[in-house]
Amino acid sequence: MEREAITEGTTTVRVAAGSANRPRGEELFRAAREPESSVASAAVGSTGIEGLEPLVAATLDGETAFFARCSTDRVRSVAAALGDGTLPTDGATAVVEHEPRVATLPTPEDGPLAVGDRVVLGGCGWRRPTSVDDYQAVRSPVAPSVDRSREATARIDEAGLRGRGRGDVAADAPVVEHWEAVAAADGDPIVVVNANEADPRAAADRLLLESDPLVALDPALAAAVALDATDIVVYVNETETLAHRRVRAAADALADELRMDVPIRIVAGPDEYKTGEPTMALEAIEGNHRIEARRGPPGPSEHGVDGRPTLVHTPRTFAQVGRVLAGEDMTGASSDPGTRLFTVAGDVDAPATVELSTGATLDAALPAVETVEGRKAACVGGVFGGLTRSLDVPASAPGLESARLGTNGVVELLGESTCMVALAGSRATFAREENCGRCVPCREGSTQLVGLLRDVYDGEFADGMLRELLRVVRETSLCEFGRDAARPVTTAMEAFETEFTAHAAGRCPAGTCNRS
Amino acid sequence: MSTDPIWENSHTEPDVPLAEDIAPGTANDPVAGASEAATLTVDGQQVATQAGATLLDACEAVSTDGEVLALCSYDDEELIGPRSECRTCMVETEEHGVVPSCSFPAEDGMSVSTDAAAASEARDVNLDLLLSDHNLLCTTCGANGRCDLQDVSIQNEVVEPRYGVMHDRSELEPLDDSSPFIQIDRNKCILCNRCVEACNDVQVEGVLRMEGSGEDTRIGFQSGAETMMDSTCVSCGHCATVCPTGALVEQGLVDATTLPIPGFTHKNSAEGIVGEDYEHQPGQMTPMKRELDTQNEPRASASTVEGDATDGTATEGEDRP
Ligand code: SF4
Ligand code: SF4
Ligand code: FES
Repeated sequence: MEREAITEGTTTVRVAAGSANRPRGEELFRAAREPESSVASAAVGSTGIEGLEPLVAATLDGETAFFARCSTDRVRSVAAALGDGTLPTDGATAVVEHEPRVATLPTPEDGPLAVGDRVVLGGCGWRRPTSVDDYQAVRSPVAPSVDRSREATARIDEAGLRGRGRGDVAADAPVVEHWEAVAAADGDPIVVVNANEADPRAAADRLLLESDPLVALDPALAAAVALDATDIVVYVNETETLAHRRVRAAADALADELRMDVPIRIVAGPDEYKTGEPTMALEAIEGNHRIEARRGPPGPSEHGVDGRPTLVHTPRTFAQVGRVLAGEDMTGASSDPGTRLFTVAGDVDAPATVELSTGATLDAALPAVETVEGRKAACVGGVFGGLTRSLDVPASAPGLESARLGTNGVVELLGESTCMVALAGSRATFAREENCGRCVPCREGSTQLVGLLRDVYDGEFADGMLRELLRVVRETSLCEFGRDAARPVTTAMEAFETEFTAHAAGRCPAGTCNRS
Repeated sequence: MSTDPIWENSHTEPDVPLAEDIAPGTANDPVAGASEAATLTVDGQQVATQAGATLLDACEAVSTDGEVLALCSYDDEELIGPRSECRTCMVETEEHGVVPSCSFPAEDGMSVSTDAAAASEARDVNLDLLLSDHNLLCTTCGANGRCDLQDVSIQNEVVEPRYGVMHDRSELEPLDDSSPFIQIDRNKCILCNRCVEACNDVQVEGVLRMEGSGEDTRIGFQSGAETMMDSTCVSCGHCATVCPTGALVEQGLVDATTLPIPGFTHKNSAEGIVGEDYEHQPGQMTPMKRELDTQNEPRASASTVEGDATDGTATEGEDRP
């Protein structure tokens, strides 16, 4: 066989685009293939940096030139130049020298692609999303290396790996107890890759599934082998057709290559925020027509899909599992080893998903984006994230938690004109409208929360009552939705109390609330 | 299957739906309770519990320092609950923080405090949250005097609920007075799900379900019917028996406990009434009973999507001559 992997090529042109820029990306890909030449070409997924897309990467003998927001004419000339044996660098956004045949994107010295550590993201925008050959160029698949002994679980334990994302059964706590619970429970275990996320700010799992699904699927398969699971479900949003297709193709290719008979099913769930919560994910996978949270304990690890022991991790978590099982040195904070993905969104030109060591601080993510209008604050953790003025906060789960921020991998930048009272109100309203309706603190609590926040505009800031209600919503809600829902209002009141008192006095310091 | 000819002849189509066709709209909850017997302490007192016990069982075995209201819990029937939705049973544990006692397993060595500040606050606030969405016109309610919500409010010494009560008449849902046997007043419903479980898990009738989400969560019918009379109800009355409030009341009891003031009845306590146009029929079966249809389509779908060539990723790109 000749060159199988695109990474084997020494003369290549890649067009990288995510689902947001896919039509343009396809146009460019076609144009790149027009010149008659021996240049290998590939349409690859997003690098995570949407603002660069469509991004063309031209490679010749260990040197790559990147062209951001590339035009059709330019991609044609780039491909033609490569065909003539020269690397075009005119007008390039960055030119990087690297080892020939690298399997991960060669990162420039500066610019958005230089932000953080591209480890889990290494293949995004470089390897073809559904090619097992490309994936194998970076490491041998981990699934064939594990067996049913407790060894894989022991290594996860030793690594001290924590979960990543609200869709993970462990949220941001250590995952090993769930591996152990699944192994110990009665019934045929099943593995769920939970990528159902309707919060448009939280893009990391979608990025992995669109750009490099094998980085999550191979470890999921490894977990299935280690826990003796009979099948795997990848649970996505119904609107995410690209992720859906790529996972299907990648899973089939992986099954062919590894000849392992653990079927991988894809289930598309509703495009609603609540259905990403792990117990509601189980309900959707079971096909319930009405989705509400499930009572626990026991949780999904013992009583999951159809009552079977179920390991529920996000693609982000599985990507880290893969690193542990491949024997990589995890580095980062010892309390939360590895890296975490953060999507920088909000008042920015275009969102960017970057990878930070858990030993870094959040402000390290900022150079990945162009802000639109100054920065007053950030909401960290997604729609139910925590508000903060400072991003000098550790990127580790314990660091985020002690700053009372959320761990769902989002840094939403808020410009000067953002009113914190209005923002708190909109997040409370979201909780009121989107909750599943099962438990009183969340269902009725969010309604009262909206009312108490509205009262602020009428001159009454009942902060004691608000704090009491927020405590109860956080501590007694049945599922993670309600427990997280209190966070934006709680942290807004803490960090921006003067804005609340100003509103009660009839004034919006940001000048955006229109009282009439 | 029996080969007894008499049995064969007398047997007609069952008029109960198959269990797998029942779609109550609620989650596939695990069994609650501990897997083994345990010894734990509640407010400093030692309690021994059996396998299957919850912390509420342990609390009920002693005299607790705090009032563990546990409004939505129901102990009389195995197949019902714990729904664990009202969160008025919260207790503090040294091991797991504040937890709902009605569904939390009683584990060996646990230390439970019922009057810890966080637990009492949680019970008080959650009870008031329930009252905030409840039509508190007890004097015209058929459950007046035999209502669990009333009982726990008295037990908890509620004087003025902190979030008020539902008083705006325009917010009230109309009464469903269509059935000659059972009246539904959703303004009194605490969504404890007992009726749904009585109907589906005990009676296996498959009539009632939970529907909607958020503020629109309500008790409805699996057939999609709008009223009790249009539903497939067999009028067994089990739902009304288990209902802790005046949300489901047998017609005979609707005005049983209201004040004897002329013109002051349950029916004029809510904004509207549906189903008055039905003649009260003597038969126990609603017209829809045998036309079981269901509107319960799954919200998720398994994939049939194949990998696509237009991705340019699976086949293209590497081997051009
Ligand atoms: S916390 Fe909210 S979303 Fe979760 S069970 Fe309660 S009502 Fe449903
Ligand atoms: S109608 Fe009664 S039994 Fe049914 S959920 Fe409402 S309060 Fe509970
Ligand atoms: S009694 Fe425990 S939640 Fe209602």
